[in-house]
Amino acid sequence: MARTLPDQDLHPLADIDQVIHASARLMVLTYLYVVESADYVFLKNLTGLTWGNLATHLAKLEQAGYVEIEKTFLGKKPHTRLRLTELGRKAFREYKRSMQQVLDDLPD
Amino acid sequence: MSQPISLKDAERKVFRTATNDGLWDMFLGCFFIMFSVAPLLSARLGDFWSSAVFLPVWGLLYLAIRQIRKRVILPRVGYVIFGETRRAALGRLSFLMLVVNLLALVLGILAALNYRSIPGQLTSMAFGLMLLLGFSFAAYVLNLPRLYLYGLLAGLSPLVGEWLFSRGLTTHHGFPVTFGAVAGVMILIGLGLFVQLLRSYPAPENGLPGRQA
Repeated sequence: MARTLPDQDLHPLADIDQVIHASARLMVLTYLYVVESADYVFLKNLTGLTWGNLATHLAKLEQAGYVEIEKTFLGKKPHTRLRLTELGRKAFREYKRSMQQVLDDLPD
Repeated sequence: MSQPISLKDAERKVFRTATNDGLWDMFLGCFFIMFSVAPLLSARLGDFWSSAVFLPVWGLLYLAIRQIRKRVILPRVGYVIFGETRRAALGRLSFLMLVVNLLALVLGILAALNYRSIPGQLTSMAFGLMLLLGFSFAAYVLNLPRLYLYGLLAGLSPLVGEWLFSRGLTTHHGFPVTFGAVAGVMILIGLGLFVQLLRSYPAPENGLPGRQA
């Protein structure tokens, strides 16, 4: 699931979740973290990603178990609802904590 | 791709994206038209009916807004269910609005009962303060700065109206002019936001939304 950097001397950098660390996925997770759920269109509008890009990143996040993708119909139109799983919320909080620690430890 | 990383900023952006369509501005503007037109109707319909006649209009407007949101806004902007923080803020706002409205109702009844003994300026100040407080609460809780402007304009309206009236420049305590102007500002801003949204989020084609910068 989460790959780590090989150099353990750089701990806690080594602990940073590489699934989240990609800028597009971080953006997606940030927005999903602050809402209960959003649909594909809303997330695309917020992030400015293309359909293909968003789909690829969401697939990775879903594979990691961080995002739940629910496909339903609104009337006759397909509707894709996205929400962060509990694991995703936990991973995001952990990522935030790790990044804060890394940045705090850096010399000025 | 410079996007906010602050969770607060992200949450605010979500809220603004979902609600910045100008429809509620236009609805508020229509609400303030009542303050502007009701005094003109009161001579013919009486104090109660001159205001009550607007109730079905608001009902229809509310239904129209829901339909426009469903058919025009949501397919373009997308659907979102806000997180706990925003839902709590909206709950606090509803409570504060209830308190402010009840207070305004009590003051209104007191003013009506003692109509002759209370100076017009005092009633106008209390009314203006209520409007300013209500809008300022909403602006603070929702983090929508333009509501401060609405609060200022609406709050000043009764005072400016009274001032114009005392100089014989207007009729009906100046309400038709001042509240008409406030309603105009709200409707124009709402219309501007609505047009901006339609231009920024083109209609979806084949179930897919159009370009998004």
